[in-house]
Amino acid sequence: MWAYSFMQNALLAGLMVAVVCGVVSVFVILRRTGFAAHALGHMSLTGAAGAALLGFPSLLGQLLLNSLAAVVMGLLGDKVKKNDLAVGVVLTFVLGLGAYFLFLFQNNYAGSVMSILFGNIFAVSNSQLWGLLILGISVLALLMIISRPLIFASIDPVVAASRNVPLRLLSVIFFLILAVTVSMACQVVGVLLVFVLLIIPGAIGMQWGESIYGIVALSVMSAVAAVVVALYVSYQFDLPASFCITMLLCAGYFIGLIKNYVVKS
Amino acid sequence: MINCNNLILGYDKAITPAFNLAINDNQWIGIIGKNGAGKSTFLKTMLGNLAVISGSIKILGQAPGKINQLISYIPQEREINLADRMSGISLILSSAVGWRFGLPWYSHKLRRRVAELIELVGAGDYAHQPFNTLSGGQKKRIYLAQALVNQPRLLLLDEPLADLDPHAKQHFIAALQKIHQHQKLGLLIISHDMHEIACHLDAFIHFSSTGVHFCETIECVKEDSYVGV
Repeated sequence: MWAYSFMQNALLAGLMVAVVCGVVSVFVILRRTGFAAHALGHMSLTGAAGAALLGFPSLLGQLLLNSLAAVVMGLLGDKVKKNDLAVGVVLTFVLGLGAYFLFLFQNNYAGSVMSILFGNIFAVSNSQLWGLLILGISVLALLMIISRPLIFASIDPVVAASRNVPLRLLSVIFFLILAVTVSMACQVVGVLLVFVLLIIPGAIGMQWGESIYGIVALSVMSAVAAVVVALYVSYQFDLPASFCITMLLCAGYFIGLIKNYVVKS
Repeated sequence: MINCNNLILGYDKAITPAFNLAINDNQWIGIIGKNGAGKSTFLKTMLGNLAVISGSIKILGQAPGKINQLISYIPQEREINLADRMSGISLILSSAVGWRFGLPWYSHKLRRRVAELIELVGAGDYAHQPFNTLSGGQKKRIYLAQALVNQPRLLLLDEPLADLDPHAKQHFIAALQKIHQHQKLGLLIISHDMHEIACHLDAFIHFSSTGVHFCETIECVKEDSYVGV
């Protein structure tokens, strides 16, 4: 099955998205920005709809809109606790726009809505692969540059601020990283399930890992394993890949829950 | 170490009268006063988080906010977002030069230093345990070790004894005592339990409605019935 070029593309795209999501999801949980990840996924729909209106690739529309929304959310809510309100305000505004875009193009656009909502990893083209690679490397490089102050500011924001760590700048940069990651992940699992790759790998990492590096490594491994196994299962049993990724990651999380329960009792 | 000239503190409007202070290097100072008298505002102003209303303040010869890498602040309230299994050691390590960009690198030298600090504050028995499972007193001793990891010249503690039972207070004060013996640094501590810690301090600053006074002994602030000495 791996001889088919669409499977090779699916595997490469899946691996790139899994590695980036595995790293970013740890910070999503530490910074309690799960709602933002979810919201950016929904906003991707507006970005894709806007791109379709103007005749651009959907990834470009998602990237532009998500990045703009990320900067606004980052500026409005630089403290970890304050994020929800900022995200909610931006989300409702952008979703309103999305509804209007869909209304404008309901005839031409309705057919591709499903693939944006649920993703289509088996339809990733070579040019999309290059796009994912460039975005993935950019996200990881940026994360490496800001990782130390980002970890400090995420774990202990009040003391980090007293040490002159630039909380607002970090908040904006992290939301931009999140926006790009969401746009990438939407190609694989779609906007409705983007949450799964941005929350559960990090949650699994935290169930087993004790240090930040350990948690990130476990998170990446669980995301990569889920994507690879899901592609195989999806091909063999003719099931939707995003469904398989979701089920596998949820199963991984429940195994961790059971482990914690057994250890406690 | 700290020089205040005609300093007036406040948020948008003044909450203290103008005052002058001169605190020497490595002095350990207790800050006393009623709620709302400006004690926490004083610490936040030193960090540059709040602007002065008027007058000037210099810390280690610099304006507020310029040398925060040399100041460790333990706030009264804070939000800690550690993962469930992460320990106090992870918290301390994450703060080590946490303002510098790049990947965090926890060298053997840093780990050895963290181990020494954990020993110093008496947190050796639980520093490896998940932080979220620790008691309030245990967490506060981890905060002390965290505050020392960057080798500060000045330590600012805002109500560290609040919410601690007598036993935990004793442990915390013992940890402070050991720090005083082993480290060269200045300390400003706000506390409503000053009588319990007064014997370890060099002088006091009293924030009251009539002014801000510097006293060599706690006796001189006895006129304020609130102080409880």
